[in-house]
Amino acid sequence: MTDRKSMRAGRVVDAEFQLIDRQVIDSEGMPVVAVDDLEVSDVPWNTDLPPGTEAPIVENLLSGPVLGTRIFGGRPPESRWQRIAWKHVVDIGTALTLDAPAKEFDAGWTERWVRDHVVGKIPGGRHDPE
Amino acid sequence: MILSDVLRSEVVDAAGHRLGRVADVRFRFEGPPSASRARMAGIIVSPRTSASFLGYERSTLDRPVILDRLLRFVHRGSFLVDWDDIHRFEDGRVRLRKGYERRSATLPGDDE
Repeated sequence: MTDRKSMRAGRVVDAEFQLIDRQVIDSEGMPVVAVDDLEVSDVPWNTDLPPGTEAPIVENLLSGPVLGTRIFGGRPPESRWQRIAWKHVVDIGTALTLDAPAKEFDAGWTERWVRDHVVGKIPGGRHDPE
Repeated sequence: MILSDVLRSEVVDAAGHRLGRVADVRFRFEGPPSASRARMAGIIVSPRTSASFLGYERSTLDRPVILDRLLRFVHRGSFLVDWDDIHRFEDGRVRLRKGYERRSATLPGDDE
């Protein structure tokens, strides 16, 4: 278990450099998803920010089908994002580490579904090669 | 708000003069590590490109020298603008307050 030193108060990180596109791994060291974007708390849009407005905080890591939108612009529809709440992040290094196993998060469910319902049905699909 | 709504947006001053594009968004951790929050500290404005610094904004990274020089040249003139100096978010544009301050975009090393 990590001691969360990488998230000590006062440390600064640049999102594009240190968070986006990083691999997310679960508490057992297994890859979950990659961070495609970040969801931060809402700020007023198209309107002036009054002095003293509280800065937004990161609420969720987002993962989704971004290949097309990165090439052609725009962004995936809201419903296509898979979210992992920021409170589950316990370490930020070359990867972002979560505090629980992957199965506890919705992100990555398609991979688990294919494993259980497709690959698992193939003879030999439930164990390592011998 | 999705962060990519801000990344690569055009940045203009209070008079509407173009200053560059948002190359990155800086966050600062606050609270105890067991319940850490990442709060937006400001935006990195790059006058010439919206591409990433590839990590060469860190004070501790300067090798290989040729990449270090190239990236620093491409991003010359980049600066950090504090959250308090942001006046307005619009679609594809960030407007700064009058009298905003240009701060160093250098990212402290993890051990600093």
